[in-house]
Amino acid sequence: MLDSRLARALSALLPRRVVADAFEPAWEDLRVAYLIRRQRTKSPLGRAAQGASYLSFTVLLFLDCWRLAIVGWIQREPSTPARRIPPAITEPKQTERLHMFLYLVRHAFRQLVREPAFTVAALLTLALGVGANAAVFAVVDAVLLRPLPYPSADDLVILNHRDKQTGITKEFIAIGDFIDLSARQKAFESIGAWGRGETAFMDRDDPYRAEVLGVGANTLDVLRARPVLGRSINGDDTRENAPRVMMLGYETWKKRYAGDPTIIGRVIRMEATERQVVGVAPPGFTFPPTATTDIIIPYQFPTVAPAQRKSGWTFAVARLRPGRTLDDGATDLATMSRQFEKEFPQQNLASEYFPLGLRTALTGNTKPALLLLFAAVGVVLLIACANVANLLLARSLGRRREMSVRLALGAGGGRLVVQLLTESLVLALVAGTAGVLVAYWGAHALVALLPRSGDVPGLDDVRINGPVMAFTLGIVVLTTLVFGLVAALTVRSEKAVGVLNASRGSSIGTKARRVTSALVVAEVALAIMLLVGAGLILRSFAALLSVDPGFRTANVMTMSLQLPTNRYRDRGAREGFYTQALAQIKAIPGVQEVGMAAVTPLTGNNWTSPFERPEQPVPAGERPPEVGWQLASNGYFRALQIPLVAGRLFDDRDLPAAPPVVIVSEAIQKRFFPNESAVGKRVRLQGDQTAEIVGVVGNIRRAGLRDEPRADMYFPFERNKPGQTTLFVRTASNPERALPAITAAIKRFEPNAYVSEEQTLAHVASESERVTRVVLWLLGVFAVTSLALAAIGIYGVMSYAVRQRTREIGTRIALGATRGNIVWLVLRQGAVIAAIGTVVGLATGLGTTRFLASIMYGVKGTDPLTLSAAVVLLVITIMLACYVPARRAASVDPATTLAEQ
Amino acid sequence: MPRELPPLSHLQFLALGVILSSDEPGRVIRDVVADYGVRRTGAAFYQLMARLERDGLIEGWYEPVIVGDQTVRERRYRITAAGSRAWRQTRSFYETVAAAAAQGRLSNA
Repeated sequence: MLDSRLARALSALLPRRVVADAFEPAWEDLRVAYLIRRQRTKSPLGRAAQGASYLSFTVLLFLDCWRLAIVGWIQREPSTPARRIPPAITEPKQTERLHMFLYLVRHAFRQLVREPAFTVAALLTLALGVGANAAVFAVVDAVLLRPLPYPSADDLVILNHRDKQTGITKEFIAIGDFIDLSARQKAFESIGAWGRGETAFMDRDDPYRAEVLGVGANTLDVLRARPVLGRSINGDDTRENAPRVMMLGYETWKKRYAGDPTIIGRVIRMEATERQVVGVAPPGFTFPPTATTDIIIPYQFPTVAPAQRKSGWTFAVARLRPGRTLDDGATDLATMSRQFEKEFPQQNLASEYFPLGLRTALTGNTKPALLLLFAAVGVVLLIACANVANLLLARSLGRRREMSVRLALGAGGGRLVVQLLTESLVLALVAGTAGVLVAYWGAHALVALLPRSGDVPGLDDVRINGPVMAFTLGIVVLTTLVFGLVAALTVRSEKAVGVLNASRGSSIGTKARRVTSALVVAEVALAIMLLVGAGLILRSFAALLSVDPGFRTANVMTMSLQLPTNRYRDRGAREGFYTQALAQIKAIPGVQEVGMAAVTPLTGNNWTSPFERPEQPVPAGERPPEVGWQLASNGYFRALQIPLVAGRLFDDRDLPAAPPVVIVSEAIQKRFFPNESAVGKRVRLQGDQTAEIVGVVGNIRRAGLRDEPRADMYFPFERNKPGQTTLFVRTASNPERALPAITAAIKRFEPNAYVSEEQTLAHVASESERVTRVVLWLLGVFAVTSLALAAIGIYGVMSYAVRQRTREIGTRIALGATRGNIVWLVLRQGAVIAAIGTVVGLATGLGTTRFLASIMYGVKGTDPLTLSAAVVLLVITIMLACYVPARRAASVDPATTLAEQ
Repeated sequence: MPRELPPLSHLQFLALGVILSSDEPGRVIRDVVADYGVRRTGAAFYQLMARLERDGLIEGWYEPVIVGDQTVRERRYRITAAGSRAWRQTRSFYETVAAAAAQGRLSNA
């Protein structure tokens, strides 16, 4: 399929006639030959190699077709079209202009073919610049620009909670607050609760795992999802004790029930629960956009907010009323948050709700990273343009005699400008075509690099489509204007007679030299901006790598485990499973510890619980502070090697019938028990119930490496042993080797146990900073590319300058200048350009480092080490680039030079 | 006898010769041409065939073929009456020239 898509994309870039005559039949031959060879090859490696070579041949065929098209054009004489049409005197002027334009285009192609070195250098520079920009834009378009799949999706917002005491934000809201917010708010049409889960269809012999979207009474209205069959889920379905119903996703209905129109009213068993089908969702409906929605079930809510307002939490999506903005929504929520603080201070003090646009909520920290890369790749393009402008300028100056002859023979200055612009346009269009190819591969490589763990929309649908082509065309036209005009206008200002009278080796005009120098200064300035940016991200990444999360990530395997609810409703059944399965897992050679917990560290989880000492109750009208919540087993601490500081870990004593116990982190000990041991003290749970603190463990960075270690409270897994948990298995060596044995041990006791998200803890830690790593990697590539381009630019300018000053240098040597003097003469000129560029770049760069703020960690934008390292690297590179022309200048033979004079 | 150069180039003559008696897919014609030492890229070869089509000497069409489990297309060609005529004229030219050369008559032309 990829080959057909590639062939279609390539043929769209070729003249129609060449496609029909040559590309299409030749590509079909390639395909036949490939399929025949593929049939004969059995090894996967050999097949992969054949596939790669087939795709490469397709691209070569495309280039060959362009060669044929260009050769066809070049071989046609300029007068050929004129011969075929009526006499020139009757020819309309417009046609004449068209012929002239075609002539200029063919002439431009001839120029490109005649100067292969220039053509290759300019095309490569531009193709990479344009291609990299189009690739990043393709991802930006898919993730940030393409409409989300809901009507008027810009009006959709996700409600978030912020604890003003700790600064911790959550993307869900408390049930009690949700009910009151829904009733009192004015800025939204309505607010809908939602959540995700998994279940299994049990209506046939083959249980079918299904992704569930749970919704409140208004959620489907908020999302404008109208059923194609039956009815939607409504307020009657979400009342407590309402009959159990569900809607089928359109694709599930089509695939599993063959689009049976009599499905409405049928009762289907989902694990232990039976639900009646009341409707079918519209085609393609999923929420969030990247999730799969196989079935939709109603969440049952109380109609009045419960006394314990924060006893449960839900995700909430809302739609702004027509004419209302996100700010209106924020103001409305802030007002109600303050009302709640006054009315329910013990639960809502310092508790605040705020809206985030749906796209912003989904894209998270991918958005600033993408925009940053887009800006960086734009800088690379600017440098590439400056380089090509310099190349074009140098070429134009080399053709001054040709231009002067044309001027002397009566050609207008405007005509020469048009000719040079046409040459630039042809160059840019060919580079743009190659750039689309670069973009095609680059965009897919970028998508592979970006993290997939979140709900970032569009990543699966990145393609080189209309907007991307339009963007590429826009860049091409812009670059043509930028670098073509510089060269064209500089040549136009030359005086014909002066150039004709001057000897061949005449020096470059002052104006042209200023233009080239200015371009190189701009390149150096832009390059140092990127270098500083990449340096800051490198320092941030190094700082993140050196962060101690408080636990050891090496040699730990994690996996999510869900037991079938119908068979493990009873605690005794779960107890039996865990006892036997864990004993089996522990017996696997190499396995050292096995633990269970509800929350996997470093995945951004912010679940919290109020902390209050019964003997030191918070004053009336105040809310107890929130601390991190975790449900963990004894083995969890051992598997992650979280140190026990005081007391004990959970053990067999902590059964449901025994008095409740908790373990706290050192941060709680320090904050709430500054002058005493926390062990043996009590903490208030819900209502009047209290629990004894039996142990104190080390602090960990639970949500992410960037978070400061927080106060955490651990509840015993042993007390409840839920049917859904995450396993943490520490092994002596590579934990992935033990994975098959671990899964087999679980399946031996429960074949229907659902094991998913198998990954090492080291991978989890690495993924938590993947955005930073991707930005570092790409920014590094862009910075090195820009540095190399700037070096090439300054090398070109200095080489040209040395060539032009050969006589002057010869005279200097004849008059006694040493080789060192001459080398310094040239290096000094380069150093001045580098110094001006560095100062301009640093001044601009320091102002723009704030755009990196969301990605930087542990380093300031003005970090002297980064700034000096960037400057040193740049100066060394530029001096190296200048040294070669300087050596050439020093080796000038004065006798030969003066004799020529 | 009027003395005219042949209507076909040697390469066109060769390509038409392959499909003189039966229609063939493009890749077979290309293989035969390659056997005679003519190295042309796929695109250049099909451009040559397209020109012959435009001149009315051959007809080309796509035909589905099954390779393994996939159905793909290939371009097949058949010679037209005009093509046969041009091929015969060219052959006649070469035969005449060869005969004349063998008898030493070309040097007196």
